[in-house]
Amino acid sequence: WEGSWGLYFPQTTYSESIYVGQAAGTPVLQVHAMQERASEQPYFCLYRMPVLKPAAYGSWFHIDTVTGVIYMNKTLDWTDFESIYSSRPVQKGKETMKLTLKVSVDVMSPKKLCSQITNVDVSFTFINATAPTCGKMTLEKLCFPDEVIKPHIKENRMPGTMRQLRRFTHADLCPNYTISYRVEAESPVPFVVNDTTSELVVTAPVDREEKEVYHLMIVCLVRTEETLDTLTNSLHITIYDEDDSPPYVNGTDTEDVLIEFSRSKDTTFGNLFVYDRDTTTYQSQDNYVSTLMTNDSWIKDTFTIEQKFSEEKSIFGNVRGTVYKYKLRLNRNISVDEKRSFQLDYLISDTMFRGPEGTVMLHFNVTILPVPIRFSNITYFFVLSRKSMTYSQIGKVCVDNCLKFKGIEIAYHLELGDRNISANVQSCYTAVDVARNLEDMSGVLYVNDTEPLLRPECQELQYALVAHEQHKQLQAKAIVIIIFEGEVDPLRTEGQRSLACAEKRQRGECETFRGLGTPTGRCQWRQGTGKVISKNYSTCSPDLRTCPNGYCDVIESKNISICPQDCTREPIIGGHEKGLMLGIKAGHGTCYCYSEKCFCEQDYLQENICDDMCKTVIATA
Amino acid sequence: RDELIKGQGRGCLLKEIHLNVTDLGLGYRTKEELIFRYCSGPCYDSETNYDKILNNLTQNKKLGKESPSQTCCRPIAFDDDLSFLDDSLEYHTLKKHSAKKCACV
Repeated sequence: WEGSWGLYFPQTTYSESIYVGQAAGTPVLQVHAMQERASEQPYFCLYRMPVLKPAAYGSWFHIDTVTGVIYMNKTLDWTDFESIYSSRPVQKGKETMKLTLKVSVDVMSPKKLCSQITNVDVSFTFINATAPTCGKMTLEKLCFPDEVIKPHIKENRMPGTMRQLRRFTHADLCPNYTISYRVEAESPVPFVVNDTTSELVVTAPVDREEKEVYHLMIVCLVRTEETLDTLTNSLHITIYDEDDSPPYVNGTDTEDVLIEFSRSKDTTFGNLFVYDRDTTTYQSQDNYVSTLMTNDSWIKDTFTIEQKFSEEKSIFGNVRGTVYKYKLRLNRNISVDEKRSFQLDYLISDTMFRGPEGTVMLHFNVTILPVPIRFSNITYFFVLSRKSMTYSQIGKVCVDNCLKFKGIEIAYHLELGDRNISANVQSCYTAVDVARNLEDMSGVLYVNDTEPLLRPECQELQYALVAHEQHKQLQAKAIVIIIFEGEVDPLRTEGQRSLACAEKRQRGECETFRGLGTPTGRCQWRQGTGKVISKNYSTCSPDLRTCPNGYCDVIESKNISICPQDCTREPIIGGHEKGLMLGIKAGHGTCYCYSEKCFCEQDYLQENICDDMCKTVIATA
Repeated sequence: RDELIKGQGRGCLLKEIHLNVTDLGLGYRTKEELIFRYCSGPCYDSETNYDKILNNLTQNKKLGKESPSQTCCRPIAFDDDLSFLDDSLEYHTLKKHSAKKCACV
């Protein structure tokens, strides 16, 4: 069975027309098999699926096992056509019908049965009419097939015959015509026509890496007693690829990798490229094997190589080839105290390449630096109004480089700065708390309880801020001093029914309202512009620095009343664009919310403020 | 294609009008159009003793300045969602924007 690897059909299908009255013994068409070695003499046969009842029409044909020419076995009459038409009720009344045979090829051997390893479909279009007379035939039909043929050959193979150009069924209709063929091309091509047999012949092995498609012109010469007609038809022969190129690097095979703040699982580092002039068609990750050249179990457990490939054309001189991209990927988080430096080699091998040089060695110079958990800024100092409301954001705290951390978990909490204080003063310290930001490793200080703000002894608070690294239990400390200044709000009314700034639809009522999360004790109004749906819609917010900014942050997500514009999950009524996950991305006019239900609409009250009368007044003023 | 809910509110009917999406006043910029269906018509024939009493009390100013809502012709079901592409090639979907069935409620 090994030999059958080499034989293949240079076409995926063959087709021809069959007419009523086509005589027994006349040729219909010819199939060819391309060889890899001269010893592979092809043996053709009509293959019949053993499990199916053989189709009656199958016996109307036979194949020359050596030449691959298919002949009529019997002269077809009208009843034969009726029998195939009646066997397919759906097809009744149609003029033509397409039926398919399978032709298979194998290496000639004395006791070989017809096997199906390499086969091709041959479809016959049965036309329920007798063949047209020579006078009614067009020269195109005499010369060229009805369907466009897209043959292919494999690169690096033996030269050989690949296609019969003559149309057997039609050429016989005009016995007085002499039909011959010729190949033309813009530049020299390894294809010629065998004049005695009218077969297209490949004269030399071809190389896909040199040329992927040969564009030929097939010239058909039709000679009668009086005239000589010349017709041309294009034929594009595709060259199939095989793995005949080794991998190579272009430039560097070494990359420096520094692992510092990004240490989480699945992070990738470095970028090394390996090139292969073969296509990706049957290249896959399985053919390209990469091996880490190390015995160090820590390295083996921590790193893998990520391989991606893409097909490129321009860098390979306008012929398709493959570019492999290699990255170093972390299998697990690397702890903050890890410190190492090593060279990591890995071997890439093109396992399908038969030559000796199918491997490339790549190198990563890896440096892992430890990350200290500490505060360079050891004292944070914040000043806040005594009017500020619960959930007002005070400020951000961050251990050094915390915004760059990936795969390092930090938790923050506040402790009493001085433990030798009275119980009365200790109770002040419920005023502020810290929460870890959702997206990075910074902390957000916020007002947790407004009751202490009313008390004069609570005006200056000193906390110890503790950052706690979760994996190695490392700690860092900083001092946070918060001063509450100004007067307490005289209008402070406890038990306000609603605290959401977002409920307010107009600037006046917004800016006098004490909403949840307001650092000044008053909501802030944003005046939008434009009459279409805009990200800059009008709205009332506790703090325009954080709300609405299109992001529901850790403090806002503690209570929906703080900033429903960023945090709502419910459908929004009116003209709007929804945020990606939560909230309102853009709104029409003014957006306001009752609890989590938000509405966006143009405020007619405000529009009508300046009517025609008013405009005249302004114009004349 | 007016629709009548049998028994109640003979005057309360489903009506329709052909509009541009921009006519809806929701701020979308698009050239798309839609059939907007709405409920309209009187609801006198579905009033109950409750409505008559309320009417009398408001006429006689017994309820002060308050005037509770009376029976009115409203949608009791909505059309399917409407999706359209706006001028900057973004999709929007309107829900509960057009009536499917009306009744006096």
